[in-house]
Amino acid sequence: MPPKKATQDSLALVQGQKRKAPPQYSFNGQNHSNRGRDPKRVKLFDARTILAQNSEAALKNGELDLSAFLRAREFEIKALEDGLQKSKTLLTKRAFQQVPRDLRRRTASHNVKRVPKRLQKRAAKEMKDDNTPTVNRKNRRPGTTRGRLRAETAKRLGLLAVKKKAKPKDWKGVEGCVETRAPRPKIRRNQFNSPPKPISKFRKRQIHKTWLPTHMWHAKRARMTEPKNPLWRFAIPITSTEKSYRPTHRAAGARGAVAWDMSYMSTIALEGPVESLKKLLNAVGVNDASLWGHKGDKWRDGKRSWSGWISRDIQTGRVQIGPAVVVWCTSESESTTLPLKRPLRKIFVRIHPSIFLETWEEILRLAKLQRPTVQVEDLRFEIGSISITGPGSTETLLGILHPYHESGDLLEEHGRTFRSLAGVSNPGSLPANAVLAFSIMDPRLRYPSRNITLPRQDDEEATFALLEMLASWPLDDSPPSRALFDRDARFKATKFPTQKSINRRKGQALPGAYPTTLSTDPPIPLMLLTSRTASPASAQGMWTLLAPWKCILPIWYGLVHYPLTSGGNPRFGGLDELRQTHFENGTAFFPVDYPGTAAGFTWEVEQRTQRKAKWERRPKGKRVEWESFDLGASRKGELGRGWSCDFERLIGAKALPDVDGASTQGTTQNTDPTPPKPTASIELKTPVQHVICKEFTSLFSTKTASLPPASSISVVKLTLVKRGIASPCARIYRLPATVTSSTHDSIDTAATASTSTSKPPSTTRLAWLSLLPTPTYQKPLPNIKSLSKQKFQHLPLNVPLPQRKRLLAQSLLQDPPLQYPATNKQGDDHPLVPDEEDLIGFVTTGEYNLAEGKGVAIGSVSVCKVLEGERRAGKGEGASRLCIVRDAGEKIGRLARWEAI
Amino acid sequence: MVRIKNRYLLVNILYPELDDATQKGTPDVLAINQSTTDALKIKDLTGGIRGQVRQLFGDYGSGAISDNLQVKYLSPATSTFILRVSRVHYQVVWAALTFMTSVPVKNGKKCVFRVVRVSGTIRKAEEEAIRRAKEMIIKARRELGERSESNLADIFGKPPTEAEILKDALMVDADDSEEGLSDG
Repeated sequence: MPPKKATQDSLALVQGQKRKAPPQYSFNGQNHSNRGRDPKRVKLFDARTILAQNSEAALKNGELDLSAFLRAREFEIKALEDGLQKSKTLLTKRAFQQVPRDLRRRTASHNVKRVPKRLQKRAAKEMKDDNTPTVNRKNRRPGTTRGRLRAETAKRLGLLAVKKKAKPKDWKGVEGCVETRAPRPKIRRNQFNSPPKPISKFRKRQIHKTWLPTHMWHAKRARMTEPKNPLWRFAIPITSTEKSYRPTHRAAGARGAVAWDMSYMSTIALEGPVESLKKLLNAVGVNDASLWGHKGDKWRDGKRSWSGWISRDIQTGRVQIGPAVVVWCTSESESTTLPLKRPLRKIFVRIHPSIFLETWEEILRLAKLQRPTVQVEDLRFEIGSISITGPGSTETLLGILHPYHESGDLLEEHGRTFRSLAGVSNPGSLPANAVLAFSIMDPRLRYPSRNITLPRQDDEEATFALLEMLASWPLDDSPPSRALFDRDARFKATKFPTQKSINRRKGQALPGAYPTTLSTDPPIPLMLLTSRTASPASAQGMWTLLAPWKCILPIWYGLVHYPLTSGGNPRFGGLDELRQTHFENGTAFFPVDYPGTAAGFTWEVEQRTQRKAKWERRPKGKRVEWESFDLGASRKGELGRGWSCDFERLIGAKALPDVDGASTQGTTQNTDPTPPKPTASIELKTPVQHVICKEFTSLFSTKTASLPPASSISVVKLTLVKRGIASPCARIYRLPATVTSSTHDSIDTAATASTSTSKPPSTTRLAWLSLLPTPTYQKPLPNIKSLSKQKFQHLPLNVPLPQRKRLLAQSLLQDPPLQYPATNKQGDDHPLVPDEEDLIGFVTTGEYNLAEGKGVAIGSVSVCKVLEGERRAGKGEGASRLCIVRDAGEKIGRLARWEAI
Repeated sequence: MVRIKNRYLLVNILYPELDDATQKGTPDVLAINQSTTDALKIKDLTGGIRGQVRQLFGDYGSGAISDNLQVKYLSPATSTFILRVSRVHYQVVWAALTFMTSVPVKNGKKCVFRVVRVSGTIRKAEEEAIRRAKEMIIKARRELGERSESNLADIFGKPPTEAEILKDALMVDADDSEEGLSDG
């Protein structure tokens, strides 16, 4: 490879090569430049050679000497350690290989501009050394005439723009000119808000979607929605590029924290007199008796939030729209100058973007009906939010949010109470749905955040004081800040100083001290909502931070870099992680787990297309053939389409044609002021209606209640009784009916008896019930004799070793090992799944639940079929709330218990 | 693809026989672990081993090690070297080393080649050499019962207590006895 002679033609050859001749290394004083040795090998050899001393070094004047001896050893140690180090660094990495794991990319990793800033210089040098420098678009020589023309035009345009910018803007000196405030962005009433105008560089990418405030940060670290296929008109992070399933489980449950940028959630502000607002809220389903009575005082004062389901009226009844959070602005104090006859109040309604359009239309319609009227504002791109959960979540928030007035009388009561929350490890331990609202200073002034001092674990006094504070909750007496409801305050908060000036102030501050806030620093209004999960009281609650849209980014930077005392930083999550935490808490995730709502059904339809496409991609021999697949007892074919949760089949409606995904745009939110699609199309599309948990349980408890319409479904959580998991699209059956005339001669022969008839055997119900584990109160006797009779299950620790060995051997010999390879007739000894008449629903989410350590699934079941099944069940059978789950395309069903959620 | 498997032997050259130079009360440790003559070059060492192998195993042996035997490190001052042999035939080389009785140079001193470590990577052999050198320093100092004026603080931090020294010494012995088994 290297030139043979240093002649002219060889030089030309060097120039023609893409990679230039490598640098020459000299070794041991000899010059290898012309020897033709591979420079890489020379380098390798060089690095691997370990220095050694001559024998003279260990001697003194040719005689043995202790100090010389020791020095020789010391030298050897140094040399060897050096050698180890050298050979390690020999495997040097390119700049793009040194990018942190979660930021690593595969495509265009050679592109200098795509590595982090701190590595760009190095990468540029490396690429230049390789004679493959990254081309700068500006300096590239256009190849074609057209390209040259375009480049020239662009250049001229650029010059024009510079000239235009350079025009004097300074009107201050001019006489007769009045300085005015910067214009506020308009929020038109009763109309859609437009997304913030992106800078021109990124405008083209945001035509059909909006970026979250933290988009740049997330796009480097997470898999985002596809550019052409945004979710709810937002580019939303789906999941981290790193492996994150188990780390998320740990961070959300055991130690650490997980945070999400939830700015895509939509906020609608309503303003009007209390009576009108009450009527409006009642009409959308916020009509709990307790809310409007004495119990709801705190809610109506803005000290608590309400979260629940909102619904709307149609001709045939009520339709559930989706979950929402409603927060009131606290009422103005009596001391205001103009006591209105009917003081106007404000509320925020926070909803999921997939139901925004539906809710917006409904609220707008209702608002116009009210007298005096209610004003509706769309605050979608005005208010952003961050959610954070996990034991370290409170600590993180305390570390990054510093009240604007740090001490003294100006410090808001809410800010003071917030600062005293150090030591709270679960946001759910605060009063339910508590609201904290105060103003914070620019988070960049306190960046990088430092550890806060937590009370020691064994400090009982502090713990007691904290618990007492949480129980008495002093904030019930002090009104929360109203700043976030105030458009002016929100706008002022976004006018924060430049990063440059912040850096200067940081530099001027004393070492180790933070810069002080100036009067020019705007306070950032903030609202913190807590929520707890319903099921286990110990499950982690969640903080939701509402702040002006543009303030989310600096808060986010502080948040993800906060050093937790339990080690590491808070993790970030995408949609998958959010779904996972919901699943592990045993709650359903909107809209995925609610196919009974319009948004949920849209999601389901989209999933169908994806699953079907995935199925079709598989080669024919390797995919499940849905039509010919055997369900046992000579039943052929999957129930419904195998790739879908086929609710249409369940309720006997006409199946939707397999959509191409084009119609999914209907319910996504519309950021254009163009008239949105009529909601009638949504109604047509949703064959099933969601019944909320409360109604479902009340129907279930009253035995004589009339059955709801066949199309009503409700969400249940399934816990598998034994092994196995259920995956999405799995079919849920109720236990088959008992046939009274049948002879229960044997339950194990279920499969053999059924081969002749097409009906499944009548004994299946008993066979299924026999799968139930024996109740746990029959504890085995502790003595060893009885243990040896039993199966080798739980030996007490004090069993002597020989005994233990013998028992183990016995237990191993008793059970013949499973056959290998497994027989094809797998599952033939398993009870057969019931017929289609017993199909009650489908699983929407299901996997192994790390929190419970077993298979758990969340699905939707037809309410009337469940009620039928429960009513026909015998008393005392222990069969209540049992069902059978079977994965789509599998023969084996598994027994599960369900509970309404 | 199958990797070529090697073994790395860490070998010490020991001089158990006392000659005139070491008569006058120098400690045994120094004498036994004294430096090797500078005349011993890498070429000589490999030549000596090859000769010994041919003598012991004939053509088979010399053929087996001919293309793989290599001296990776040779330090005459501390009488230590590291050999690379193919994994299949390392015992051939070991046996040859055992039978060598003098330094393979002209008029070489009487000596013993002691294989102290057989490892699969050179890294481990180097680490072992470091460990042994450290132990040797402790041993030498203890034997003499005096502190060396050279600066050892950067290697050990603080001078070890008597108990630590004792523990180290015990560890040395245990290792020595296991050496033969620890190939692998």
